[in-house]
Amino acid sequence: MRGRNLVGLLLAGFLLVALAIVWRRTIGIQQSESLTALDARKVQLEGERVRLESEISAASSRQRLGPVTENRLGMRIPSDNQVVILPRKAQDASP
Amino acid sequence: MPAPNRVSIIHGVLVVFAVALVVRAGKVQIVDGKQWSERAKRQQFFTASAPAARGNILDASGKPLVESREQVRVALALPEIRDTTFVVAALRRARVDVSPVRSALARKGRWVELPGLYDPAKISALAKLNGVHFTPVLQRVYAPSSGIRRIVGGLDAKGKPVDGIELGLDGILRGDSARITLARNRDGRAIETPEAWSDPPSPGATVTLTINSGLQDIAERQLSVAVDSLRAAGGDIVVMNPYTGEILAMATNRAGRIISSNTAVTEPFEPGSTLKPFVAAALLGRGRARPDEVIPTFNGKLELDGRTITDLHKAPQLSLSDVIRFSSNVGIVQFGQRLSPREKFDTFRDLGFGTTSGVPLPAEASGTLREPSAWSKQTPASILLGYEITVTPLQLVAAYSAIANGGELLEPQLIKEIRSVEGDVIYRAEPRRVRRVMSTEVARTVREMLLAVVREGTATKADLETFAVAGKSGTARRTSLKAGYTAGNYTASFVGLFPAEDPQYVVLVKLDSPSGAHYAGGDIAAPVTRIVLRAALAARDAALNRESLAAAPTGPVVARSRNGIGDTSGNAPESTAADPTPATSHIVSLPLRAKPKAAPGAPRIVPSVDGLSLRAAVATLHSRGFQVRIVNGTSMTTSPAAGSVATPGTVIHLGYSRE
Repeated sequence: MRGRNLVGLLLAGFLLVALAIVWRRTIGIQQSESLTALDARKVQLEGERVRLESEISAASSRQRLGPVTENRLGMRIPSDNQVVILPRKAQDASP
Repeated sequence: MPAPNRVSIIHGVLVVFAVALVVRAGKVQIVDGKQWSERAKRQQFFTASAPAARGNILDASGKPLVESREQVRVALALPEIRDTTFVVAALRRARVDVSPVRSALARKGRWVELPGLYDPAKISALAKLNGVHFTPVLQRVYAPSSGIRRIVGGLDAKGKPVDGIELGLDGILRGDSARITLARNRDGRAIETPEAWSDPPSPGATVTLTINSGLQDIAERQLSVAVDSLRAAGGDIVVMNPYTGEILAMATNRAGRIISSNTAVTEPFEPGSTLKPFVAAALLGRGRARPDEVIPTFNGKLELDGRTITDLHKAPQLSLSDVIRFSSNVGIVQFGQRLSPREKFDTFRDLGFGTTSGVPLPAEASGTLREPSAWSKQTPASILLGYEITVTPLQLVAAYSAIANGGELLEPQLIKEIRSVEGDVIYRAEPRRVRRVMSTEVARTVREMLLAVVREGTATKADLETFAVAGKSGTARRTSLKAGYTAGNYTASFVGLFPAEDPQYVVLVKLDSPSGAHYAGGDIAAPVTRIVLRAALAARDAALNRESLAAAPTGPVVARSRNGIGDTSGNAPESTAADPTPATSHIVSLPLRAKPKAAPGAPRIVPSVDGLSLRAAVATLHSRGFQVRIVNGTSMTTSPAAGSVATPGTVIHLGYSRE
């Protein structure tokens, strides 16, 4: 009986180790897949950011807005005497 | 010995089988282990090359001008597809071009590359379909400005750089590709596993330009308006910081012509009178003339070596300062005869003409400056007038920067900084002195001459109300192919220093072959400079040191005649077609300056805005020269009331109710 118990224990141990190895590999592959999916998502979002920034830049350029502001809204570039440059307050002298 | 029973035989067979298994396993694992391991790797893993992300290009304030983003190319492995109709329908729904699929099916092809690049976010659902494969492709996204595009260049369909910074700094921007090893799953698709290995890609470095995108935007817009309104063949605007050599803006425009290169560095031109200040500097520096020294100018007509040199401003004699102020051809030729041909050549060569400036833009032109031994009989006079010599707009701006900064020629800088992907600084621009081309005293004297040009000379239309601008206009005849110099074909230019006392900008405006009655640089290029400066002053970020501007000891420029002494056309209108800005209508007292001169504008009637929308009402009041402040009140009433008389610039309170 003792010998059979020992064989049984060895078999059970072998089974557990085998299961642990398979489990580790399965988890590893799953995490790799999640990582790949997240990487792909990150790339997609980066691309989206670049596209949107480009569109904002195009929409807010003077070439695009200039004719609209001048012709439709009657806006114009102010002459230099209409621009007030405010001098920065002098820093308090440290003691 | 008893005969073995059946159980013993079975046990014996099992033992032999087990021993055979162990032996075989031992052979596989130990003797042939390496070979089998390699074979398994070949079956389960594959190696692919992944291109490194190309480095970004930023403007001086860190705003992206060029970035890389990943897109995908779609391909179909036809043998892997069970239901072709279903897959094609799914591709169509995702707006993928499936036109090559039918012909591939007809010829029983196995692999079909579909045309076009697609946003991965929009077609990610297709990745689950059998037989649909994606290949990532890094695509460059450029700032929408065409001028920026001509500076940064571009890539061809294969991703190879073809022009601009992309080509000039390809080695830095390209980065190193990766070798990635991936595992295959049972469907043959790539999966990442802990056993996979790779050499990660090394992205390209980030390049920061000296270009200020706000100022570039202003320059492009004003150049476009000027070229259109003057029906010119094209033009260039270059703005440089004279103390660092940094190129702040470089706008180019060629009407009706698609150009990929930046003509401010690739197309030299004959600069005309904009070279005269350098002749004056050479004379002053060698002690051959004084600013107040007078020379006969023969009422603006001189016969020399079989040619007649004429002036628009006809005077019997002029001082050297006035020769520059009135851009006298006769005067500069008279004074210039005190310089030998070699001295003239050395003067222009030292200013950087005839050699490339070294900016990392391919195809930069060197311009033309011939050795005196190759000069004709007329060259010594022609070169003083800015003919028989060609310069690029960038070279001319760099040379004027020497006048602005006290006499040092600096190397033009287009690259402000280069950083590795880890953020380490690989390169940072420092002002690079090429040589001293004039003494500080001579530079100051020439600056004063240029100030007089704008105050009361040929370029009064460049002047601002509250800051002094110095500069020199130029009007040069242009040549046509096989026809030589042709009548009515001019290059109009103006180079300005702003502000005159301590310049922050050197601005060149050049307009090619303008049509119409006005073609002189002082009439059409100078006003464009003024508008660029005004727009820069009003812009949030235009690379101006406003602290320095606020503290500058500049008083308002004294009242001067717009159609006065420097108006070479004699009857030039106050505003040219290139100047869309109406006359000043509103005055603000600047805290640090004397009150600017009063703006023109007679009192006028406040218009009725009854029944107009808010936007239309504001536009109507603005168009009459009034300022508008919107206040709560009954709908569309004004204070002062409609019909009242008010001076332009008066703040009209516009009552507006949301109900």
